[in-house]
Amino acid sequence: MTSSGDELKAGDAVRGSLEIDGQVLSLRVGETVLEALERAGLEPASGCRSGSCCKCLLQGDNPPPESQKTLRSTLRQQGYFLACQARPTGQLVLQGTVRETAAVATRVVRTEVLAPQVIRLILEPRSELDYFPGQYVDVLGPDGAGRSYSLASLPSDGVLELHVRLIPGGRVSPWIHQLQVGDEVSVRGPYGQCFYLEGEPQRSLLLVGAGTGLAPLLGIARDALAHGHSGRIDLIQGGLRPDRLYLREELANLAAEHAALHVHACVLEGGSGSEHVGALNQVALDIAGPLKQTRSYLCGDPALVANLRRSLFLAGAPSQEILADAFTPARPDPNLPSQATTGDVVG
Amino acid sequence: MSLYERLGGAPALESAVDDFYRRVLGDPRVADFFDDVDLDGQIAKQRAFLTLVTGGPAEYTGKDLRTGHAPLVKRGLTDHHVDVVIEHLGATLTELGAAPADVAEVAALAEGSRDDILGR
Repeated sequence: MTSSGDELKAGDAVRGSLEIDGQVLSLRVGETVLEALERAGLEPASGCRSGSCCKCLLQGDNPPPESQKTLRSTLRQQGYFLACQARPTGQLVLQGTVRETAAVATRVVRTEVLAPQVIRLILEPRSELDYFPGQYVDVLGPDGAGRSYSLASLPSDGVLELHVRLIPGGRVSPWIHQLQVGDEVSVRGPYGQCFYLEGEPQRSLLLVGAGTGLAPLLGIARDALAHGHSGRIDLIQGGLRPDRLYLREELANLAAEHAALHVHACVLEGGSGSEHVGALNQVALDIAGPLKQTRSYLCGDPALVANLRRSLFLAGAPSQEILADAFTPARPDPNLPSQATTGDVVG
Repeated sequence: MSLYERLGGAPALESAVDDFYRRVLGDPRVADFFDDVDLDGQIAKQRAFLTLVTGGPAEYTGKDLRTGHAPLVKRGLTDHHVDVVIEHLGATLTELGAAPADVAEVAALAEGSRDDILGR
């Protein structure tokens, strides 16, 4: 056994190193991040070790490009990379999975009824919260349980906009629905990879959502327009009946101000003449036209998103260009019961 | 140099995976075996499969193929379905610019997995 392997020798400066939670780990020549983490006894997740399975996905500042080349662009933009493919030559600072995101305190500045059972919640963060519109935050309820809500606002708004549907008997949404101006709300995040990507202003964008799935789409559309996106943007809001659709006037006004944006409504029944009537996936295909060069954003309940994703893919959309965040209830609750110190547990 | 490398490695495989998966999902003879609400998960599986049969860095082992396909065999997966899939594989690779000899080589590689896939 040699003990000299980890010592940095003079003239060995091209060797990379890792920083994890303030600790620095130097890499051996030719060693991957995955191998170095394993050597340090950190037991990182891994699978194929050949860049295919993505199990060793990590996040860091400026990872080597070759460790990102098979990832979808939203992940690349957030600094995700494959540890088994990364041989950094400089210092790579790891983030994300290693550190827990701190909760941010906010104050309610406005609430507004958007549709039956749906409110718009406007929160003012007490400290800076940077995010991409379309990402989501977890709102922490009085018992510390978190529920995910997408951001319809832009960071430049200075406030966070969430659309919250009342889930009767839910742990968080009934509490949100009774909040008053001035009340304190803790949020954690942002999370998610469903957001506008800079650099391709000509690309066609297709934004499809149902129910409060409109929130992230509104954020993404506004973000695209703020970036001067010139390609066609089709935003399709779906709902069972016209009374489930909301913000229609605001969307129409936004479209009137921006030639690139086209808004559409789609209902299954009770159409009033200004909506498409039919299944959302079929209506989306009719509106979108050829999909080969289109980037799609989908939001809504998981079954709807899966259905839309499949339809768009079969119609020619590249699988890497169909972006959606899966809102699975399985995401671990960051607050253990023992850490919940305020309020009563909501039934 | 493996066919995987000659075709352009992982990036080239990306579009081939989409093409291949679209073909099998669009073929009523085999679509049921491939249909899944988790499109991303299916894409990842097809990527691993194409990587394996083009001689890229293998992620699947014979044992994985056996375990993974056992539920499909229970649902009636037979030689016929494997034939159909190999046919779509050939069409995908041809579209990607692979030479006939390469397509034959891949078909032979896929043949090597047939018994594992069918659990024999």
